[in-house]
Amino acid sequence: MMIALLLLFASLASAKTVLVVTADASDFILAAGGSISAMTAGGDRAILVRVTNDDKDSWRLPPEETASRTKAEVEQAAKILGISEVHSLGYRADELGGVSPTEIRDRILFYIRLFKPDVLFIPNPYTEYDEVLDRFYTGLAAEEARQAAALPNFQLAFAKTGLEPHVTRELYYYAQPFDPRRREAESTATFTPQPKVVGIGSTIDRKLRAAQALKTINFSMAMRIRQRLEDTGRKLPLLETVDDAAVNKLVEINVRKLAEIAAKGSPYKQAEEFMYAGPEFQVPQKLR
Amino acid sequence: MRKVYHGLALLLFASILQAADLVPLGQLPKGKTFLVILAHHDDHTWEWGLGGFAARLADAGWTGYYVRTTNDEKDGNEWGPNDLVNLREAQDAVRHLGMKEVISLNWRNDHMSSAPLKEVRAQYILLIRKYRPDVVMSWDPWGHYDRNPDHKRVARAVGEAVWMAGLANVHPEHLAAGLEPFRVPQVYYTQREDYGKGHTPNIAMEFNQAELDRKTDAFWSHKNVRGTPASPEARRLSMETPSREAGKRAGVAFAELFYAIGEWDDLPGLKEYLQTNARPK
Repeated sequence: MMIALLLLFASLASAKTVLVVTADASDFILAAGGSISAMTAGGDRAILVRVTNDDKDSWRLPPEETASRTKAEVEQAAKILGISEVHSLGYRADELGGVSPTEIRDRILFYIRLFKPDVLFIPNPYTEYDEVLDRFYTGLAAEEARQAAALPNFQLAFAKTGLEPHVTRELYYYAQPFDPRRREAESTATFTPQPKVVGIGSTIDRKLRAAQALKTINFSMAMRIRQRLEDTGRKLPLLETVDDAAVNKLVEINVRKLAEIAAKGSPYKQAEEFMYAGPEFQVPQKLR
Repeated sequence: MRKVYHGLALLLFASILQAADLVPLGQLPKGKTFLVILAHHDDHTWEWGLGGFAARLADAGWTGYYVRTTNDEKDGNEWGPNDLVNLREAQDAVRHLGMKEVISLNWRNDHMSSAPLKEVRAQYILLIRKYRPDVVMSWDPWGHYDRNPDHKRVARAVGEAVWMAGLANVHPEHLAAGLEPFRVPQVYYTQREDYGKGHTPNIAMEFNQAELDRKTDAFWSHKNVRGTPASPEARRLSMETPSREAGKRAGVAFAELFYAIGEWDDLPGLKEYLQTNARPK
């Protein structure tokens, strides 16, 4: 009993706070859901900041209803991954190019100072050939927010409300495998993020259930695939009837294949791949 | 004899190395309509891209449209006449390539950095829904160090428009005009490779001598900016040399190199499954 209590205290003492920034509802699940789930299962506290409202991603539903349904579904998905809070910034999807980058940065910075995370997950803005630019704009803003959150001369008003500067020690850049050169190390300099592969064998089922919780987006994906095939005189046997079972199967194929792609060349069967900057990756003093 | 074996082994090794370096040769894509969306009147006829592939598609029965985004007011001799002369020469070039029409959007030349991305994108989305192209060609949105502000802005807007045109909740007003959502299945991006490592071609598109000749004619249609070649030889080599160099990279006589986004590249986890399991209706 005593040992169990000691172990509990020890794990609580080492528990980290993880802040996950996502552009659209599915991004963080597909690229990082397994790793986040492993952290929460180990006792870490995770919080999600969702930048857009996903109002475009449905099949024949108006934007308002799309946004409303997806909000409920992403909260359900986050819960499955063990994320305790979801904060939605509410920007209209696919329109971040018209929003002030400083505004997005400062809203993410607010959450960094509020929750003082040890770990930050952000979309990788340097990944190439990812056509969804919401992820690019969010990644840039979040990367800058992490930097600015640590500097006392940014957002002086925040300090008046107790939101003091904060350094986030670990940074994970996540992306789906669109970039053919994503495995190339950017640089050997100690302060440059490096490729990191995380095995997700123990959490992939939870990741899958989280991905399947996004029913509106998944149904839209299935219908759009069917439409693209129909436009070119083809069909997919799985999608002859687009019901929950067919959509969930499609999502399962997607999630498991993504895990297999990420694991290629690693000791794992299922994985997620990141660019990672840990506590040891600091800009040397002489270069600051 | 031993030397001969060594020589043969070296030759074999060299040819394996060379083969490994080859850019894969692309097949003629499936479809019937293509849009070339670029910034300026002469972008579709430059040395490294598009003209040869466009001529080949036209020869194969495709209908091609050239979307010229700016008004090209600064390109040439005089502000006023430039607009009209450059448009007419772009129309000549398009005729040489066998394409149907120039669609001019008339944004201000060299001022695209401050053009609202969403407004430019909206015009491309409308045209994509109208023409439902099987192929779109443009500048590579991930290319590095292209210092032309119009190229960069157009590339970004095209990169979003090609897939966003498929979402019904993006500009739902288009439905009232009968313009249904449509996602472009195949996109070919071009860029000078010597601009930096951002653009690395993944496909070569071959074309023949007649198509090279039309690419050359299209290039020299732009007299307002290119003048007249110094000699017939200079005229011929202007397009033959880069086309031959690109061809060598793919093991053919003439080619242009692109970064192609294939049909299911937007769904990397489903691509293999869809390619394997989709079948004719």
